[in-house]
Amino acid sequence: MPAPTSAGIGLRRVSAGFRHPDGNEVLAVRDIDLDVAPGELLTLLGPSGCGKTTTLRMIAGFQAPSAGQILIGDRDVTHMPANRRDIGFVFQSYALFPHLTVRDNVAYGLRVRRKPAAEIAAAVAAVLTLVGLDGLANRFPSELSGGQQQRVAVARAIVIRPRVLLFDEPLSNLDAKLRTEMRTEIQRLQRTLGITTVYVTHDQEEAMAISDRIAVMNDGRIVQIGTAEALYRRPASTFVAGFLGRANMLPGIVRGSTSGELTLKVAGATMRVACQTAYAPGTRLWVIVRPEKISLAAGGSLPGEIVSRTYLGEKVEYVVRLADQSLSVVRYDPPEEGGFSPGQRVGVTLPSTGVQLLAAG
Amino acid sequence: MSAAIGARWQWRGADRPLRLALIAGIWILLIVFVLYPLARLFGRAFNEEGVFTFAPFVDALSNPNHLRALRNSLILATLVAAVGTSAGFLFAFTAERTNLAGGIRRLLDFTILLPLISPPFTTSIAFVFSFGPRGLITHDLLGMQDAQVYGWNSTVAAEALTYFPLAFLALRPLIASIGSDLEDAAFSLGGSRWHVFRTVTLPLTLPGLANAFLLLFAASLADFATPLILAGNGLPVLPTDAYLQITGMFDLKGGAVLSLLLLAPAAIVFFAQRHIVGRRNYATITGKAGGRAPHRRIASWLRYALWLACIALAAFIVYLYALLVYASAVVAFGADATPTLSNYRVIFTEGIPAIKDTLIIALICMPLGGVYGIVVGYLVGRMRFAGRQAIEIVSMINYALPGTIVGAAYLIAFNDEPIVLTGTASIIVACYVFRYSPTGIRTTVALLQQVDRSIEEASFSLGAGGLATFWRVILPLILPAFFAGLGAVFIRAMTAITATIFLVSINWTLITVRILENMTELSLGPAAAFSVFVIVVVLAVTSLLDVLLRGMTAPELRPSALET
Repeated sequence: MPAPTSAGIGLRRVSAGFRHPDGNEVLAVRDIDLDVAPGELLTLLGPSGCGKTTTLRMIAGFQAPSAGQILIGDRDVTHMPANRRDIGFVFQSYALFPHLTVRDNVAYGLRVRRKPAAEIAAAVAAVLTLVGLDGLANRFPSELSGGQQQRVAVARAIVIRPRVLLFDEPLSNLDAKLRTEMRTEIQRLQRTLGITTVYVTHDQEEAMAISDRIAVMNDGRIVQIGTAEALYRRPASTFVAGFLGRANMLPGIVRGSTSGELTLKVAGATMRVACQTAYAPGTRLWVIVRPEKISLAAGGSLPGEIVSRTYLGEKVEYVVRLADQSLSVVRYDPPEEGGFSPGQRVGVTLPSTGVQLLAAG
Repeated sequence: MSAAIGARWQWRGADRPLRLALIAGIWILLIVFVLYPLARLFGRAFNEEGVFTFAPFVDALSNPNHLRALRNSLILATLVAAVGTSAGFLFAFTAERTNLAGGIRRLLDFTILLPLISPPFTTSIAFVFSFGPRGLITHDLLGMQDAQVYGWNSTVAAEALTYFPLAFLALRPLIASIGSDLEDAAFSLGGSRWHVFRTVTLPLTLPGLANAFLLLFAASLADFATPLILAGNGLPVLPTDAYLQITGMFDLKGGAVLSLLLLAPAAIVFFAQRHIVGRRNYATITGKAGGRAPHRRIASWLRYALWLACIALAAFIVYLYALLVYASAVVAFGADATPTLSNYRVIFTEGIPAIKDTLIIALICMPLGGVYGIVVGYLVGRMRFAGRQAIEIVSMINYALPGTIVGAAYLIAFNDEPIVLTGTASIIVACYVFRYSPTGIRTTVALLQQVDRSIEEASFSLGAGGLATFWRVILPLILPAFFAGLGAVFIRAMTAITATIFLVSINWTLITVRILENMTELSLGPAAAFSVFVIVVVLAVTSLLDVLLRGMTAPELRPSALET
């Protein structure tokens, strides 16, 4: 299937407001600017109620923005109804038509477009092969497993070769194993077809696995946008740091600054961190340290105490008390002998690189 | 979370002008065929030489005859509701709690169905055959001379038998929904069977019982045919009085006033019933268990007693209908038992105009009522617009009002300018469509509640507009409601009489009216033959609808078909 003419998406100062029963205007989405490049897969990631689904539904045309402008390609679609926007939408609930077979579900968009029967039959057969549903064309949705229903939903959305593909938490109704499998599948399809895609999820691992770029949303705003790696390594806020992966957020005070290096007082200890920004001594900062960056040893510079140990197979998670701070520490591929047990005193070593500093607000 | 927020939003979709046109069209219909006739009825009742006055009403209330009719109507309705609800509860409880054998279950289902699809006075006619002066039981069996069938006992019994299936249908799902674990919990706490029934089962069923009671009260209050045949002169009730006032004494105004006397109790009952049904969740706490454990807690002597009672009642109903069939096939019931087809010959010769008219009207009403039902149901159940609830309520008015009021209102409203329909089929068709489509409306709303909005959004996202989405997705999903509406309108168009007896004319008459005429002329054979014919036609058409629906619905949508 050749790549269709894919279009970029632009959101210009888009807000979504509704009137609360008590009379106040509540904004579910506030003043969002967003550009999705043609062929890109961008994820809107955030907690429940952050406005990510509302944003997606506005791109689809299911809801109208209260302010701002939405572009698909170079067309202003702000006031265009959903059925004329040329989109494919995959719903959290799949929203398969229960009275139609798999074949008729997938053919629906083509029939609405009044394509010739032969063309429809060929396109449906091709897309069913593409999503791995050969031989199930005559089944009804109720006769399919959750994963198969998901595939039908995807097939139905892509067969019309939309300019834009939109996913609303498509994997949240599947079990963990299937979820991993399907997200790889969706990524493969998206790459193959090259359709510009916006994908909504609250699962950070899913977002990191699937996306070209992630837009992290909180409280109706996009708080940071970038590749998974950029967001993980250089979160711009404690919210992003905490939402993408796990992070220790330690309060620190700047003691001194030389070119390219900062000396900080953290948890009663002195820490040297590579840093391009110069801070005046006395400045308070958040020091973001990922759990896998901290090392533990029988003896070391900073004295800590193991509070708890959780064995998770490929890794062990420790909670370590260091001065008045509680640290999360992860050790991968833990050896059978030589771990630490609760109550044990250990030496803690904080890293000097791979640490993110954020101004304490 | 965010989806819940989205739900508050004004839905934006295509085909806005079409929707506006639909809403406007429905309003025009409701104004012309619901509000305008009522307004004219009120105008006629409260207007004396151009001045608004309560005087006619006060006069009516101070007339001892009318007061007696009102009192009789209320007492009759109370008795019928009490007896009918008890019988309905007996059937529902037995059906749900005693593991009925298949044969008995089918017998019960059939006897429940019969009164629902018969003309409302079928039971009354059979009562005359059974308990009348030449009645099978009174005369032939007991050897009584001049047995008196007319009066309170037979009217209450006949109405209770006619309407108890309504109570059964309202109570059965409720009794089924009381989780056995709730009762088990009560048993585990040491309650005796009777104690558990009294403290758990009965209180949980109470709102349902009240609902059933009110349904039957309203049905009896509005019933016109049974009292006309069975009440006799000693038991005047409001609907028959109003009818005689209008057709016997040509006193439209007096009839209007009398029919409006029914309005207050009918309205109170209607709103009380809505209130109870609105809180229905109360009794549907089933716990989480998926498969319900069988209820085995009924003592075996009680089980046999329940079976016996149900079978006796069912056998009595079957006996009444058998009597009707027998009476239709003999020369003269009670006098000459020679088998004959002459009664059928009569209805298929002299009766042909009535049969033709009724079938034509029923067949016109069916599609109109079916379409009207799903369109209004869709507007009310799916769309958000100002006045949505007003449409919902107004569309129910003609259904909720006693037929006498509706019939008198149509007679007054469409007799003169600006809209003259008297003497046409249209007035009967309009009466049936706006009176009996609410079944379709309510079934549509109930089915739509099960259709997630994302199903429609999926269709929009695939490029379909509002109309295409309705046609390709929504319509197939609410098809069972469409068929339920078709069935209800057809059954009522074949069997109803209360409202339309005011509206028949030389040009257009109805089988039910002919049956009533036959009864008053004491040509009982043709009356019985007409009744049997109606029942057979209704059974045939509803079975056909059922087959059609099964053929047109996807397998997983079938179970709920025609259950309402």
